[in-house]
Amino acid sequence: MDEFQEILQDFLVESFELIEQLDQDLVELENTPEDLELLNRIFRVAHTVKGASSFLNFDILTRLTHHMEDVLNRARKGELILTPDIMDVVLTSIDMMKAMLHFIRDNGTDQGSDDIEEIVLKLDAITSGTSGGSSASTAPEPEPEPEPEPAEEEEVDYSDMSENEIEDEIERLLQMRQDEDKARRVAKIEAGEAVPDAPEIIDEPKIEEPEPVKEEPTPAPKPTPVSTPEPKPTPTPVAEKKPAPAAKKEVAKAPAKPAASVEQTIRVDVRRLDHLMNLIGELVLGKNRLIKINDDVEERYEGEEFLEELNQVVSIVSLVTTDLQIAVMKTRMLPIGKVFNKFPRMIRDLSRELGKKIELEIGGEETELDKSIVEEIGDPLVHIIRNSCDHGVEPIADRVAKGKSETGTIGLKAYNEGNHIVIEITDDGKGLDANILKDIAVSKDVITEKEADSMGDKEAFTLIFRPGFSTAKTVTNVSGRGVGMDVVKTNIEKLNGIIDIDSEIDAYTKIKLKIPLTLAIIQALLVGVQEEYYAIPLASVLETVRISTDEVYTVENRSVMRLRDEVLPLVHLADIFEVDRVFDGGEHTYVVVLGLAESKIGVIVDTLVGQEEIVIKSMGEYLKGMEGVAGATIRGDGGVTLIVDVAALMQMAKSLKAKPAIAQADTASKKKEKPSDYYVMIVDDSKTDRSIMKNALKPLGITLVEAADGVEALNILKSGEHHFDAMLVDIEMPRMDGYSLAGEIKKYNKYKNLPLIAVTSRTTKADRMRGVEVGMVEYITKPYSPEYLMNVVKRNINLTMEA
Amino acid sequence: MSDKMKNIIDKQQQQQDEPDITNLDDVMQLVGFVVGDEEYTVPILTIQEIIKPIEFTRVPQTPDYVLGVFNLRGSVIPLIDLRMKFGLPSVKQTDEARYIVMKSGDEVAGFVIDRLTEAIRLKKSDIDPAPETASGEKSIIEGVGKQADRILTILKVDTLLDRDF
Repeated sequence: MDEFQEILQDFLVESFELIEQLDQDLVELENTPEDLELLNRIFRVAHTVKGASSFLNFDILTRLTHHMEDVLNRARKGELILTPDIMDVVLTSIDMMKAMLHFIRDNGTDQGSDDIEEIVLKLDAITSGTSGGSSASTAPEPEPEPEPEPAEEEEVDYSDMSENEIEDEIERLLQMRQDEDKARRVAKIEAGEAVPDAPEIIDEPKIEEPEPVKEEPTPAPKPTPVSTPEPKPTPTPVAEKKPAPAAKKEVAKAPAKPAASVEQTIRVDVRRLDHLMNLIGELVLGKNRLIKINDDVEERYEGEEFLEELNQVVSIVSLVTTDLQIAVMKTRMLPIGKVFNKFPRMIRDLSRELGKKIELEIGGEETELDKSIVEEIGDPLVHIIRNSCDHGVEPIADRVAKGKSETGTIGLKAYNEGNHIVIEITDDGKGLDANILKDIAVSKDVITEKEADSMGDKEAFTLIFRPGFSTAKTVTNVSGRGVGMDVVKTNIEKLNGIIDIDSEIDAYTKIKLKIPLTLAIIQALLVGVQEEYYAIPLASVLETVRISTDEVYTVENRSVMRLRDEVLPLVHLADIFEVDRVFDGGEHTYVVVLGLAESKIGVIVDTLVGQEEIVIKSMGEYLKGMEGVAGATIRGDGGVTLIVDVAALMQMAKSLKAKPAIAQADTASKKKEKPSDYYVMIVDDSKTDRSIMKNALKPLGITLVEAADGVEALNILKSGEHHFDAMLVDIEMPRMDGYSLAGEIKKYNKYKNLPLIAVTSRTTKADRMRGVEVGMVEYITKPYSPEYLMNVVKRNINLTMEA
Repeated sequence: MSDKMKNIIDKQQQQQDEPDITNLDDVMQLVGFVVGDEEYTVPILTIQEIIKPIEFTRVPQTPDYVLGVFNLRGSVIPLIDLRMKFGLPSVKQTDEARYIVMKSGDEVAGFVIDRLTEAIRLKKSDIDPAPETASGEKSIIEGVGKQADRILTILKVDTLLDRDF
């Protein structure tokens, strides 16, 4: 049974691959019904599926494909011209075949899948309808036909082949022959003819295969006399044909075959690629970390010789990691043509349904993007194209009246732009009328009249993406429910993409989708809000600007700013993420302009840190789906940074009320009643020094808190346990020195006036200057007398009481 | 120090000597820790690892007791303060504080505890279900273990790992 499962899997994979190309071929065929090459290709698909399915006992599928094959066969012989009506039937039957394959995939059997009788009858009607006139008997006629096909198609230059290849080739030809014979037999059975070896249909391949086959033999299990009145050549062993007229094709094909075999491919489970991608993600994080450590080491051991070596290794590792990442990403890339392929068929069906003439021009189908994105992009494109067909391209009469050509054109184009792929969908239809859009939006309560008035044309175009919005007067089969474009928006947002619409009345509508190439590892802009850092996907960042706080206006309780000729809603990241504003923002602030799908927003942040490659990690079930957070990433320093969910942020921004730009921290200190209410922190890495200071200050009776370095001191300060009145700071300290500590402390609003007293053995003028620069109020050099220290402290904390 | 070591060795010896605890099926191994003034235990198999406190990142829009997320060798894991979860006032972490990383199925989270006590082997027959007043779907108490002179609260890790906001 397992073996059967394996075969079944192979069959399904192969069949799905075959039918993928089928739709496009069929539509092309309709335009060039004479293209034998194309016909043969299509015929082969039906044929292969039939052969395999009969082997696997999928009777219904076999029956369907058999009838399809009949029709195609007639067309191939030139007995049947594929009119659009016949094409409809063929296309429907192919849809049915697809559905059946899906059914088999899900259920393992074709029993109980859709009823095929109706379509089989239609197919039969086509077959018999034309054959009746052209030939006396239906049965013998299709028989000889499959024969020339392998001869023309499969002719290969055997002299170039190795023995193994020849063996394979023989095997293949043999198999094909058997399949065809089988097909004929089935045909005969159906035609009522008595075929003696009918029950062999299933068993035949097994019986035939072991037959020893050497140089080009043609097995002749054909019981029917092949006396054909047709002018076409009777089937003959391939060997005989080699010098025959097929030689022309042979020359063309021969070099192609071996070349194709060089380009070897291997089927890999997507899960393995995903796993590989995850590992690469880890590696990228490791690389980031390494770079960060390298920078730190560089700073610390400036001028040391080993640094250069370290530098080299780090650059090599980071280079290789980047290359590796790109290489693995490429393995996951698929050409967007895979998605585009289904559109010619769709356009064809739609134009027939709508009674319009529409042509599809596809460009850049070789542009590649990540598999996961290819899967997501299909639906939005379907909706956009349906919309273009239905609302964009006008009926033929209208087009003629406008002086346009009868045939409307829809363009579908993909190209790369930096780290993005751009998909452009254009139609030369009636275009979008901003005023009409606004009117409809107002009448459907999608926007208020006031909003409509302040809307620019571009903004008005984006109205079509609002849920419940439709310009169609009636709901048709094709569109008009006001859902489709909303789907587009949601899906593109999910991919962190941007939608841009441009249109001119009676000229064109152009929808541009800008989508990041990959989802797992992304470029991000790191921003700081107070002490926290957040990563914003760079794909959504349009630009960053530095503005003065005067440029922020408040309109109807919302902050806005003017950016060139646009009014941009503003929101402070601290408000979104509930960060306490303890730092002083200063007069200037940074605004990150975010664009997602069709909307824009400005986000105020305190600092811009820079661009970094980040790997999106889930925060686990426990914290899944927290509003505004798309995930987390691990930074170079090993810390976790949250990734902003831009779509959610835009939603959250809508419900936020504007707050005053800077909320003053309330620092009303408690009244001091006794000396021990005064708190002074001693920051020194030497325990001895701390003890000396402690002893010197003991007589004052104030409370002393010790910290061994800058980091510890900062943590004590931030914990807010005590309100400090002064700090004694050593300069030379591990982890964070006195200058940096002072710098950090002065960033806080509420510590602006906290006296910092440097106590150090550094005595040069430059040191003193630096002390003043970072905001130290006093500079005590070691050694010092206890009295001096006491007085300095007393003066700075305004201690008037006696212990 | 040597006294401490001796104690531990004695204790281990004692546990090994107890003959009736050798059958693993009948024994539950628990890890005890203190949060606030109470000692709690969790089954040792639910613990992925115990680490010293490291830096974490706050996550907005979460309740107080969710401190944020931290990086455990490349995985981003939520951090929950058990003190706050149990409604106790938050205090400054001491040197004895630890993160206990617990898992249940795919769910993993770190829990801040005040200090660890010991690993305990308990016969299953000595474990009673949670008292009725504290049982039910949402209860975080799995059962109550009886040991010579004290009673051990065994926490239900599944419930601890359930998101309840």
